Amino acid sequence: MALFKSIIQDVRDEIGNISKKGFDHVKFGYGLRSRSHRVVQDSSVVVEALKQSCWASMPPELLRDVLMRIEESESVWPPRKNVVACAGVCRNWREIMKEIVKTPEVSGKLTFPISLKQPGPRDSLLQCYIKRSRSNQTYYLYLSLDQALNEDGKFLLAARKLRRPTCTDYIISLNPDDMSKGSSTYIGKLRSNFLGTKFTAFDAQPPNAGSKVMKSRSTRLVNFNQVSPKVPAGNYPAVHISYELNVLGSRGPRRMQCVLDGIPASSIEPGGVAPTQTEFMSSTLDTFPSFSFFRSKSTRVENLQSGRPLSALKDGMLVLKNKSPRWHEQLQCWCLNFHGRVTVASVKNFQLVASPEQGVAGPEHENVILQFGKVGKDVFTMDYQYPISAFQSFAICLSSFDTRIACE
Amino acid sequence: MRYLALPLLSQNLTESTARAQTLSLYLQLSLQVSLSQRNESTMSSSSSSLPSCPKKVVTLKSSEGETFEIEEIAALQSKTLENMIDENCADTPIPLPNIKGKILAKVVEYCNKHAEVGVDAESLRAWDAEFVNVENTTVFDYILAANFLEIPTLLDLTCQSVADMIKGKTPAEIEKTFNIKSAFTPEEEEQVRRENQWAFE
Repeated sequence: MALFKSIIQDVRDEIGNISKKGFDHVKFGYGLRSRSHRVVQDSSVVVEALKQSCWASMPPELLRDVLMRIEESESVWPPRKNVVACAGVCRNWREIMKEIVKTPEVSGKLTFPISLKQPGPRDSLLQCYIKRSRSNQTYYLYLSLDQALNEDGKFLLAARKLRRPTCTDYIISLNPDDMSKGSSTYIGKLRSNFLGTKFTAFDAQPPNAGSKVMKSRSTRLVNFNQVSPKVPAGNYPAVHISYELNVLGSRGPRRMQCVLDGIPASSIEPGGVAPTQTEFMSSTLDTFPSFSFFRSKSTRVENLQSGRPLSALKDGMLVLKNKSPRWHEQLQCWCLNFHGRVTVASVKNFQLVASPEQGVAGPEHENVILQFGKVGKDVFTMDYQYPISAFQSFAICLSSFDTRIACE
Repeated sequence: MRYLALPLLSQNLTESTARAQTLSLYLQLSLQVSLSQRNESTMSSSSSSLPSCPKKVVTLKSSEGETFEIEEIAALQSKTLENMIDENCADTPIPLPNIKGKILAKVVEYCNKHAEVGVDAESLRAWDAEFVNVENTTVFDYILAANFLEIPTLLDLTCQSVADMIKGKTPAEIEKTFNIKSAFTPEEEEQVRRENQWAFE
């Protein structure tokens, strides 16, 4: 209260000063000091400059107010693109918007492309669907926009199948019109072995890209906040998937196992966390001298190719297994409860839950983390949640299309 | 009402004295009647208006020195002015060197409108929509004024109108509307391009 009196007194003194000294020394104790200084100094030229940049110099708390309104009101797609647009205006806006937008784990919403590499929501399944296009061997992943299973969604990722002599690759990209590995929209790929029994999903970026600094890396990667940390466009193993027949052979549902390379098994325990990529790093084809880094990763890949069991790869990583269907005597078929999200029986349908490390299951091992199933001739639903990302889920589902085990 | 001093009438009064006394009596009576009539009329008029003290007015001075008057009741919508009024700092003109006269006039108009009684919500909303239907640089000035004067309803109205101006535009269109230079590095530009290509897919 007394503050106001003294402020008014100060202002009155300053006004008094103006009349004595002229406009050169106008100071204003609060509000926009520099702006009022410019206004009174040099009328025409400076006012013109102000007109051009007044928005660029908007006080951050007011800009934040405006951007928060947009983030809150544009909560679903397609309007959510307005949030992305604001983050593309200038650095100020980008910083503020990136700070306002929360990860899918927290908000349950997908906003930027990087959201596709981040763990899904914690307590609910994010509903998506996949459309298969046989004509161009391409699969399209969409975010469902409403509860009905109609095909009206937000495009997320596309995967194109490439058959090779000894394996099959699915190239995964952000842009369905640009599926080349060299493109900036390349996200990763899924590679299957010849038999279609083992798959590896590769991420174009290392699992901790943009987040913490890893001690083993060279100092080039230290400044993640600065522009263009350079990482070679690589292939970092992200998920290892294997299919096996169950004890009943091809008469029973097949067994699936997924090892998630960057996600610790502890992530699903109370208080657990999963690594979250925070930005895409610009890739470069320059050689990168940390061979030791590559060596440790390629060991894993060698293990896979040499046929060593997945158990050698686990190392405290999260392992997902498919939930066993129940045999329905009357219907004479294997049944899983997909809660209405899957409507056509198919051997491809599955639900994945976390497999306990030491064999002792807790309540967190009951949670369905990924479910996939057929709803139409070329349409499949895919629902996922924390701790896996849309990219990892998509890759796991693609493997289900390709495997030949126990297919009628 | 003073009581008339009535002279005692006695039979021994001469005729002229009686006449003079009667005349004086009439004069006094008519004086009393006209006085009471005036009192009644003033009482009836004052009962339909506010207490007879004059309405309090606050004077604001713009950056160019122009003064604007605003009724205290309208000024109370500004937390800044409310504090000054409470602290008795509002008896002399309040200088607002960072608000131009053109803007201050409109802010006063806004406060006056929102202090009016008996305006229905629908027409107030329409009035507000017209108020912000101006060039965005003017809305910018309103935002700064509302922020400084702490007028929450005006700040809400103006910030929302800017948010509405932004929605539905691509980054390039936003930059053009608000005259902002993006100044991204080539790598940032690449990221932005990829994000927007995907978002507008």
